[in-house]
Amino acid sequence: MKAVILSLFALGAVAFVALSWLSRRDGSKVPGFGDMAGFVMAYRVGRVPVGRVAVLGFWWWLGWHFFCR
Amino acid sequence: MHDQPEASAQQVRAIDRPIVMIPVFALIAAVGGLFGSFTVSANLLLHAIAGTMVWLGLSGRAGRRVAPLRLSRSSLWWLAPVLVFGLTELFAFLHTDRVAYPTLSLLADPVLDNYLPRAASYFGWLAGFWALVRR
Repeated sequence: MKAVILSLFALGAVAFVALSWLSRRDGSKVPGFGDMAGFVMAYRVGRVPVGRVAVLGFWWWLGWHFFCR
Repeated sequence: MHDQPEASAQQVRAIDRPIVMIPVFALIAAVGGLFGSFTVSANLLLHAIAGTMVWLGLSGRAGRRVAPLRLSRSSLWWLAPVLVFGLTELFAFLHTDRVAYPTLSLLADPVLDNYLPRAASYFGWLAGFWALVRR
């Protein structure tokens, strides 16, 4: 089962790289990852920047998870 | 008297310049790579940096790029890697046998035990954080 899981993680990474490459081509309809992040981060509920808090909070947790525990 | 534009409005701030921020992040990553997991030093450094980044990101002091108001249907393709990563991680996490069902962090641990990959990953995390702060 470990090989299957490793293959799926590799597939996800390849898909990420492929989409990043596609988004950088001239006239591409696929938005870049930065635009996707910007769109999600712009989400608000009233005056609360829910998207920004969620994305920055996730990145904070990700660093803590990999470097501190 | 005011033929020239305000200098302050035209100046590029230090934090806008990669030549300033890249060495700063490299220095932090070089130090952060020294601290092992489960140490007070690693926690203090990371939370100090992340807290500063979040404060900059929420206050808008670092400046922001204009976010797109709407996305095309092609943006749905981004769900593919997100779902593959997320569902695989969840599937592995829900099993107790960590050898047969490793999560991403367990796979990364042996790599991050070495200084250079740890410092390089720390740099990547910082650069990603900065890119998000400016979005």
